[in-house]
Amino acid sequence: MTTEAAAVDKKPKKEGTSDLAKQEQRLAYLLLVPTLIVLVLIAFYPLGSVFVYSLTDRKFASGEEPTFVGLENYKNLLSMTIVELPPALDDVTGERLFDEETGEPKFVIPVEVLPREPKRYRAVTTFDLFGNRYVLGATDPNFILAVRDTLIYSVISVTLELILGMGIALLVNFSFPGRGMMRVLMLVPWAIPTAVSSRIWQWMFASTRAGVINVILLNLGIIDQPVAWLVNETFQIPAMIVIDVWKTTPFMALLLLAGLQLIPSDIYEAADVDGAGKIRQFISLTLPLLMPTIAVALVFRTLDALRVFDLFQIVLAQSRYSMASYAYYELLNGQRMGYSSAVSVLILIIIAVFAVMYIRLLGVTEDD
Amino acid sequence: MTSTTTDILRKIVFYLLIAGMALWLVFPFYWAFNSSLKNENQLAMTPATFIPRSPVTGEISITWINYQALVQNEAFLRGIVNSAIVATTTTALALVIGSFAAFALGKLRFKGKTPSLYLILSMTMFPAVAVLTGLYAIINALGIPAIPSMILTYLLFVLPFTAWVMTAFFKGLPMDLLQAAQVDGATPFQSFRLVLLPLTAPALVTTGLLAFIAAWNEYLFALTFTTIEPKARTVPVVIALFSGTVSRQEPFGEIMAASIVVTIPLLILVLIFQRRIVAGLTAGAVKG
Repeated sequence: MTTEAAAVDKKPKKEGTSDLAKQEQRLAYLLLVPTLIVLVLIAFYPLGSVFVYSLTDRKFASGEEPTFVGLENYKNLLSMTIVELPPALDDVTGERLFDEETGEPKFVIPVEVLPREPKRYRAVTTFDLFGNRYVLGATDPNFILAVRDTLIYSVISVTLELILGMGIALLVNFSFPGRGMMRVLMLVPWAIPTAVSSRIWQWMFASTRAGVINVILLNLGIIDQPVAWLVNETFQIPAMIVIDVWKTTPFMALLLLAGLQLIPSDIYEAADVDGAGKIRQFISLTLPLLMPTIAVALVFRTLDALRVFDLFQIVLAQSRYSMASYAYYELLNGQRMGYSSAVSVLILIIIAVFAVMYIRLLGVTEDD
Repeated sequence: MTSTTTDILRKIVFYLLIAGMALWLVFPFYWAFNSSLKNENQLAMTPATFIPRSPVTGEISITWINYQALVQNEAFLRGIVNSAIVATTTTALALVIGSFAAFALGKLRFKGKTPSLYLILSMTMFPAVAVLTGLYAIINALGIPAIPSMILTYLLFVLPFTAWVMTAFFKGLPMDLLQAAQVDGATPFQSFRLVLLPLTAPALVTTGLLAFIAAWNEYLFALTFTTIEPKARTVPVVIALFSGTVSRQEPFGEIMAASIVVTIPLLILVLIFQRRIVAGLTAGAVKG
């Protein structure tokens, strides 16, 4: 075949080329059409309608005609206010009240200072600054919390996954007996449905001593009482992070490992000759050469973590939301299609901001 | 002397780390398996036992009732069938449509190639939840049943990925083969079908496998679309919504048995195709 091709190359092919080029172009469009149709059908058209719905009070599964409400949904989702909490005073004496146990000054409860008109603000969180206490209020504290929790969850789990994944990749990059098996094991958490791993971990995190996490930590003396990991607000997000780290670190490690194996080994030999230590080699050789892989893994993982749904919906249900599970519950339980659409649009915007930020920051470029 | 001791020490630390890692990876599965062999009383024992033991005598006692219950659980069995239908059809569609597009993007010259590439790459990062309400509205308005809805919807994330990875594979194929076929008088479509497609069969297997796993595992749309059509539920939804037939307590024994049953085929797939999977993922991600 190649000889024939070479033979043909000698032929004059002026008139043929433009014809062929045209034919080629037509074929290319023809081949792209099915993909474009599908994407328009299931991505662009629905996306457009999500934008439109988000400006209405459309209800799901209801005969009511939706009315246009402008940016009302967004306003309700995003309205926040910070109010200083005045110190709590004794009703009779007018003196400042202090907590009897800790001796800390007391403040009035947030409900009393947060605005109620035209919309009612509820407390999201309180914080201290320069000796004063402030309360952050929002008209939809659940959404604000969902955004905060999802961001915390994403940043911490991706950071941990990157660090641990790097360590594992470096370990598995050595050859040792059982290495092949190890790589198979590393793929399994990634390959099983998140619904399955969420259920397994939910059972492992069970709140009594029937839960294995409690048993192990009690035996190690790290805790002295069983902890209700998935109920106690302090531990809910850390538990989510642990589960995600378990599921995704091996995958991250495999991506990094693939990147490591692209690095030619002779540069390390040269570094050995030059007397560079292993740590030095890692910092000045491995890390820079691995940067493109790290960048891509980081981008994909972060965007993935930001849209987390399965884990939160299955394990925490409505006790704590991720952004995506909030959109789901607003749609299915609240039947508030317009409102849920506004949540979706905001998720899209947040994810887009992250994507652009990453691309700028890491200089991810196409190598074509 | 000292150098050999540090060598041995180093080896010990190395293997300890590897063993720790293996334990961390496998333990949840072990725990699921362990729990799936316990009956309700054994599951309620405190502290939980690391092998199924009788609550009275403390002797090892294994039960298969959870698996027996599972075999008779119609929702679970139907879930497996539904998942198989949805994942297989989605994969087949994505491979056909995706490799058409990938061939054009990887091997043909045409105007608007770079924008198309960017479009597909950006689609691989598209958060599916953003179109949840829009798609649900369309599906309800048109009255499409849940299974075809899922198949169509899964193309949203499977198709861009398939097209992107296949483009990378097509790009890597030598151009002269294609030219030779053209010179032999083959139309571009013939050269695609007769020359390129056989060459890309390994890539199709890899990509298909990844697409299959992604579709098999999908949860958000499956959960939403089957809300009013429980018979169409796929395995992840069935497992997530598993509720006891008798007790009000969540039947974790049965849930764990189901988890193990679902994990085993995936484990086998991974065992067979491990190298392929990693190659496919890195073609999509690392070289992207």
